[in-house]
Amino acid sequence: MIGATTAAYLARRAAQQERVRILYRRALKDTLNWAVHRHLFYQDASDLREKFEANKHVEDLDTIDKMIAAGEATYNKWRHPDPYIVPWAPGGSKFTRNPVPPSGIEIVYDYGKEDND
Amino acid sequence: MALRAAVLRHIRLPVQTLTATGSRPQPQWSFLRLFSSHDDHLTKEEVIDRVLDVVKSFPKVDPSKVTPDVHFQKDLGLDSLDNVEIVMALEEEFKLEIPDKEADKIDSCNLAIEYIYNHPMAG
Repeated sequence: MIGATTAAYLARRAAQQERVRILYRRALKDTLNWAVHRHLFYQDASDLREKFEANKHVEDLDTIDKMIAAGEATYNKWRHPDPYIVPWAPGGSKFTRNPVPPSGIEIVYDYGKEDND
Repeated sequence: MALRAAVLRHIRLPVQTLTATGSRPQPQWSFLRLFSSHDDHLTKEEVIDRVLDVVKSFPKVDPSKVTPDVHFQKDLGLDSLDNVEIVMALEEEFKLEIPDKEADKIDSCNLAIEYIYNHPMAG
């Protein structure tokens, strides 16, 4: 097929692949948020992987787009309300808690020593 | 009060003298935890060891093929979804939060080691 390997087709496929990867990443993190215990997470992660693998061989661009949109809708529906975020990352508990003091400010450790001692 | 002063005058603590070689202060402070958070950056060997351990314990990977400059999809024959899983495992190992766009670009052990080594919050 002549249209099979044009640059636009490849670019669209690459964009779709990137969307799929990011969706898989977010879905996997979400699965970990919901299934905190490791053995449950492994089972759920395998199921998620099966779902992605089942649609691996679709070639038609529009079908792929629709599947990605459906996948993102499912992901948005199942998003955890209180996801685990690493503490120092935006949304975590330590974020902007103790910012680095501006440079040029320093603490003078004189322990209350008076000037006329 | 005077008794206390007398007792204190008689109690002496042994003074630690430096050895002839001029001992480093390091062993004396080893029981003290320095509370600065800026001197606990990982060394490069530690990062490499831990990254390789994570990659080797991935079930679809043959441990004997893993070297510090192996490419996940070309050398180890993994899938792009496997790539995503490895990056997630590395995030969990080093307690990092990698943004989605950056995580997509990590394709090989080299990139992973570089990214983690240059990350200020890598644990």
